[in-house]
Amino acid sequence: MIQQVENPILEIHDLTVSYDQSPVLWNVDLSLPEGKLIGILGPNGAGKSTLIKAIMGLVQASGGYVKIFDKDLDQVRNRISYVPQRESVDWNFPASVLDVVLMGTYGKLGLFKRPGKKEKELAHSCLEKVGMSAFASRQISELSGGQQQRVFIARALAQEADLYLMDEPFAGVDMATETAIFQLLQEMSKEGKTIVVVHHDIHSAMSYFEWIIMLNLHLVASGPKQEVVSEELLRKTYGGKLNLLTKVTDLIRKKEFNPLKN
Amino acid sequence: MEDFLYFFSFQDSSILFIVMGITLLGIGSAYVGTFSFLDNKALLGDAISHAVLPGICLGFILAGEKNPFYIVGGAIFSGALATFLSSWLKENTKLSEDSIIAVILSVFFGFGIVLLTMIQKTGNPEMAGLNQFIFGNAIGILEEDLWVYGSLSLLIILTLSLLLKEFSLLVFNAEYGKAIGFPMKGIRVVFNILMILSVVIGIQAIGVVLMAALLITPGAAARFWTDRLGTLLILAALFAIISGIVGTYISFIIPQMPTGPWVVVSLSTLALISFLFAPKKGVLFRFISRQSYLKKTHKEHVLKSLYKAMEKQKSGLQIQELLSMYPVHKTETLKSIKTLNKINQLTVKEGFIELNESGKKEAKRIVRLHRLWELYLNEYMNIAPDHVHDSAEKLEHLITPELEELLDNRLNYPKLDPHQENIPRDHDDH
Repeated sequence: MIQQVENPILEIHDLTVSYDQSPVLWNVDLSLPEGKLIGILGPNGAGKSTLIKAIMGLVQASGGYVKIFDKDLDQVRNRISYVPQRESVDWNFPASVLDVVLMGTYGKLGLFKRPGKKEKELAHSCLEKVGMSAFASRQISELSGGQQQRVFIARALAQEADLYLMDEPFAGVDMATETAIFQLLQEMSKEGKTIVVVHHDIHSAMSYFEWIIMLNLHLVASGPKQEVVSEELLRKTYGGKLNLLTKVTDLIRKKEFNPLKN
Repeated sequence: MEDFLYFFSFQDSSILFIVMGITLLGIGSAYVGTFSFLDNKALLGDAISHAVLPGICLGFILAGEKNPFYIVGGAIFSGALATFLSSWLKENTKLSEDSIIAVILSVFFGFGIVLLTMIQKTGNPEMAGLNQFIFGNAIGILEEDLWVYGSLSLLIILTLSLLLKEFSLLVFNAEYGKAIGFPMKGIRVVFNILMILSVVIGIQAIGVVLMAALLITPGAAARFWTDRLGTLLILAALFAIISGIVGTYISFIIPQMPTGPWVVVSLSTLALISFLFAPKKGVLFRFISRQSYLKKTHKEHVLKSLYKAMEKQKSGLQIQELLSMYPVHKTETLKSIKTLNKINQLTVKEGFIELNESGKKEAKRIVRLHRLWELYLNEYMNIAPDHVHDSAEKLEHLITPELEELLDNRLNYPKLDPHQENIPRDHDDH
C-alpha cells in the first residue's frame, strides 16, 4: 500500500542507500503531503534513521534522488530542520542550553557572524515552547534525557523551518515529556508545518500520526493511517527481515568492490 | 634574584620580545589544543608535532642554513602530509585511529632523526641550532624568527576567534552542521591547518617532542575548573602563558637548558593542582564532600537508634548499648554523639543518652523517610518486604523534602510500612 500524492512536499524517487557497500535501503519510492504529522515505523535496523539522513544528504545515496518542495536539497536547506538522535553527540561539551538552541539560528546567520540579540530572543522563545525557559543557562551535561531531547527540539524550532525531520525524538524520554513534545508537534502541524518523525513504538504511533511510513529495508507502506495499518502490512514490516534480501546483502558485501556504485 | 629582576623587568628588549612571543604562542596553541581535546583527538596533535621534524630538516638542507621561512615551510609541508595521510588511511583502510596515529608518528619522527643525523655528518657550522628543535630553546630564538612565529600565532588566534561558532559546531555536532548547510569538511580542513600551524610555531621554543603537551595539557587542566567554553579557553591560554614564561625564564638563568621540558613540568604542576584542588571536579573537593556525607549518615544512625529505642518504650540508650549496634564504626559513633550533644539534639547523663525535642523531630524524619521508601519499593516496585531494608538504609540520607512530599502524596500519607511499623509524623503523640 504505497499512496503517492499530488504536489508533494517531499518526493523520494527510487532511493537506494548502502553503508560500506551493503545496502540498507532498497528502492524507496514515496511522496508525502504537506502539513501532516508523519511517522516512520519499522523494526531495529530497518533503515529508518538512514532514510532521514539520506533526505538531509548526510549519507550518500547509491541510487535515486530526493526532491523537497520540488527543489534540490541545497536550494531549500533553510526551510528544513533536522533533529539528530540524542545519543549522537557528547553532552559533556562545555556549552549551556541556550548555546545549543542558538545553533538553530546558525543556518540563517551563515558563516563568521555571531548570534546577536535577535537570535537570543528567538532562542528564548523556542525554549519557552518546549517548557525549558528555566534551564537556559544550565550546563548541558546536567540535563536528563528528556530535557536533552527538548533542547534539541528547541534548536530545531529556532530554525523556523517548514519541514521537520526528527530522528527518534521520543527515545529514552519520560511519559510527561513525550506527551508535551507530541502536543507541540500537533500544534506545529496545525500551523501548516510538516513533521516527519522516526518512531519505535507502534502502539503510540497509531494515536500520534496521521500518515505512516513502514520500512523494513524496503518500503512496505506509505499512506494515511487508516489505510496503511493492516495486519498484513504490519507483519511485513515487523515479521523479521526478508530472508532473500539479507542473502543478497551478504553477497554484495563480500565483493571486493561496490557493484551498486554508478 | 638579580636574574629574576633582570628578566621580569624586561629592561632587555630581546627578553621582552621573547616573552611576548611565548605569550602569543601559548594563547594560540592552547586555543587550538582545547578544541582538539574536546574533540577527543588529543593524539593527533602529538602525531603532527613529531611529524614536522623531517620537514624542518629538509628545509634546513634546502636552505643550507637556519632560514625561518624554509624551516617553517618544511614543517608545514610535512605536518600537512602527516595529517592528510592519517585521514586518507582512516577512510581507505580498516586500521583503527590509534594505530594509524602510532604509525604516522613513528615513521615521520624516525625519518626526521635519520635526516638530522645526516646533517650532523656534513659538519655544517649552522647545525648547532638545529638540535634545539627537538626539545626547544626559547632564549635562542632570533628576533627575525620571532616575527615569523609571532605573526603565525596571531593568525591562529584571529582565525579561531572568527570561527568560534563553526568550530564549536564541528566538535559538538558536525552532522547537524552539515544538515544546516555548513561546509563541515572545509571547516575541518581549516582546523587541521590551524593545528599544524600551532605545532609549527612551537617547534623552536618548545621542541617537536613536547609540543603536544602545550597543545593538550592547558585545556585538560582548565576543564577541571569550568563548564563554559569562553572561560575554558581563557583559562587554558593563561595556563599556557604561565608555563611558557616559566620555561623561558629557566632557559635564561641556566644556559643550555632546553625550554620544552620546563614548560611541560610547570604545565603538569598546574594540571596536578587543578586535578587536586578544583572545586566540584577536584579530588580534594570530592573527598571532603564524601567525608561530610559519611559524618551525616553516622549522626543520623545514632538518632534513628535512639528513636527506635523509644518505640520500644525505653527513654534512651546506654552509650555501650549504642556502640555495640555499630561495632565497625565505634569512633565515628562516639564523635556523632558528641556533635549531636553540642547542637542540643540529645543529652548524655552518666553514660545514658536521651533525645531532646529537636533531636526527636530529626530522628522521626529519618525513620519516616526510611519507612516511606520501604513502602514505595514494596507497593510500586513489587519488592518483597524482606528485601527493602538495604535500599532504604541508603536512601534515608538522600531523600529531599520535595521528594518526601512526592512520596507521601503517591502513597496517600500512609500510616504503616511493609513491616507494619508506624511511619512517625511530627504531630504524633510521642
